[in-house]
Amino acid sequence: MRADITSLFGLNIYTETGTYVGKVADLVLDVDERKVRGLAVSDINKDIFDVTSRGVILPYRWVITAGDIVLVRNVVNKFRKANKVVEED
Amino acid sequence: MKMANVFAKNLSSKQVMATDGTEIGILYNIVMDIRTGDLIDLIVKPDMSLDTSKYKVDEQYILLPFESVRAIKDYIVVDKNIARGLTPEPVEI
Repeated sequence: MRADITSLFGLNIYTETGTYVGKVADLVLDVDERKVRGLAVSDINKDIFDVTSRGVILPYRWVITAGDIVLVRNVVNKFRKANKVVEED
Repeated sequence: MKMANVFAKNLSSKQVMATDGTEIGILYNIVMDIRTGDLIDLIVKPDMSLDTSKYKVDEQYILLPFESVRAIKDYIVVDKNIARGLTPEPVEI
């Protein structure tokens, strides 16, 4: 499915189990690979992200689909102990 | 040369230029594949002086395949031949 990248801005992000994750603030583009690398997420759900920063970057490969909302794989518990998970990708 | 990752919002309204130095226009949007995350086309608002007949036109914008992008920093530099959807001319030996 093709879409303009700006159509994703501001969409709410939920996991496949229905947990609110945050809002799409921006996209990270890999120009060499010609791919979207990640979603920059703002207004994050502080219950699942144990971080002090205002936002996080999720790898785009976690995205299942996007339309009126963005659906991602279950990220709950991935950020509990190791904040490093975000940096790994 | 490896180009760094860039934030999409940093690219909005960036000048698009061909490798031969001609101005093509201003970046308006990028078409992506939602499922795979592949970047497909640049949507560019063409410069007034640009002859758009050689490009894929969509209303007041032109579409340039993302493969044509050579560099993104202060400008977006594209390969004109690939941007027009042409394959490079075969080199005669």
